Amino acid sequence: MSLIINGAEYELASPPLTSLLNVLREEVGLLSPKAGCQQGGCGTCTVLIDGEPRRACLTPLGAIEGAAITTVEGLGDPRNLSPVQAAFHEHYAAQCGFCTPGMMMAATGLLARRPDATRDDVLEALAGHFCRCTGYVKIVDAVLSAAAGRVDTTRPEPEAEPGEPSVVIPGSPA
Amino acid sequence: MAKHRGRGFSAIEYPTGMNQGGDPSQAWIKMKPDGRVDVFAGTVDIGQGSKTVHTQIVADTLGVPYDWVTMDNSNTDSSPLCTGTFASRGTFIGGNAVAVAAERVRERLLEIAARELEIDPSDLEVSDGEVRAKGAPDRKLGVGDVAAAATWTHGELITGSGAWMKPYSAPDPDTGECDPHAAISYAACVADVEVDDETGEVRVLKLIQVYDVGHAINPTLVEGQIEGGAMMGLGLGLLEATYPYYPALDHRGDQFGSYLAPSTKDLPEFDNVILEYPSSEGPFGAKAIGEMANNAQPAAICSAIYDAVGVWVTECPATPERVLRALERRSEPRREGKRIVFDEDLSVRSVSATGGEGFLAVDG
Ligand code: FES
Ligand code: FES
Repeated sequence: MSLIINGAEYELASPPLTSLLNVLREEVGLLSPKAGCQQGGCGTCTVLIDGEPRRACLTPLGAIEGAAITTVEGLGDPRNLSPVQAAFHEHYAAQCGFCTPGMMMAATGLLARRPDATRDDVLEALAGHFCRCTGYVKIVDAVLSAAAGRVDTTRPEPEAEPGEPSVVIPGSPA
Repeated sequence: MAKHRGRGFSAIEYPTGMNQGGDPSQAWIKMKPDGRVDVFAGTVDIGQGSKTVHTQIVADTLGVPYDWVTMDNSNTDSSPLCTGTFASRGTFIGGNAVAVAAERVRERLLEIAARELEIDPSDLEVSDGEVRAKGAPDRKLGVGDVAAAATWTHGELITGSGAWMKPYSAPDPDTGECDPHAAISYAACVADVEVDDETGEVRVLKLIQVYDVGHAINPTLVEGQIEGGAMMGLGLGLLEATYPYYPALDHRGDQFGSYLAPSTKDLPEFDNVILEYPSSEGPFGAKAIGEMANNAQPAAICSAIYDAVGVWVTECPATPERVLRALERRSEPRREGKRIVFDEDLSVRSVSATGGEGFLAVDG
């Protein structure tokens, strides 16, 4: 079996009935998709399969031979986030973070389909994703700001640390 | 058969730092030779943001930038004890512990700085990573320089530890009087609901919530607690029952299809307000916000249901079934424009000459 995961091609050894979630977490080592309920109910395992948000826990590997998979690891990197990642960061849209990967992938899928998504579109797209921490408010705000293009996706290098002491102290290795 | 709108409210008070004793948090802080600060504390951040808040408390107490402070609560061997993340005690008790420790580190820092600057420690102050002489701000030394001097010149470590606990307060055997808690937070919640009297379905349209948290050390995190708590409270009020057939466990909801929790589709409009009436004992005047955030909504929702359709649902969650049963039981005679509600459960029978016989069910 083979898949294209975050742009790279993988030959996989897992049997065809293995769930995509287990393939990603156990065989490939991508840990952003979470194993929440493994029943299709919570949404945190959501990844993009050929651009569509799908529950990885309910998707057998054998059903998606050759498909292109995107996980949070494929969205952006810490200095150059995807719009959805940057918006989540800006709006403090995660508390424990367990729902976050599924929320981000669902939002990414939505904005690819509908770049000018309305509030109702967002509520609909995230309705199958449980969050027990945030009350959804900041998540919805984040997705709407990403839809409106109101996010800066670059992140500065971390602030300088206190730095070298300005006086040279006798005996100091500095 | 129609949809009815109603408004209800509730008010709560929520204590933190209870009188039972034996509930401490401890912290230990050390300064690296370059002025960066390591905080070892046991309070676990489960997403509510205690690490951020404790970092802020330490940075502000110590007078160094936020980025210089690292919280290490990675394991129970290296961290001093904290009884846990519960009872809304993270900011209040855990925060007090790191504040006490930071205060002691500040004293040690000023002691070393005093030797370097040859100024009495009481004439020094520290902010933004610099120690300055009061009234002569150009006589100053970077905190990193003071830490380097402590390390390399004096051979000392700038460190401090602290703990906080509400002392045990025994209730007076006659009056029950005691000092019950260290601070009380207050909240009020208004719920606007829509009740469908045919299906029994209740929707919360709007929640107006006001929380007195003493001092919002991090307002965004406080908002997160209020919003998250509101949706938990909405779930407790309308949807979530741990054991639908309690006490039999056989049919309890064991998956998301049978244990219903609120989703984005249940989101009401929010109007949240944070009030700040500082406590005398909390860090920077803070009180608690964690658990209280889901207490007020169920009661407000149930009184809004009463306002909408005239029946009290006295058991939460107010599921469609419970609302419909309450509507069935309703008896609502009208006399001269006044509404008299006969409620079998509340037993108006005892004050009714006819034993309640005259009160017939009136179809709403
Ligand atoms: S783990 Fe797949 S939906 Fe919960
Ligand atoms: S942030 Fe904890 S479940 Fe969403």
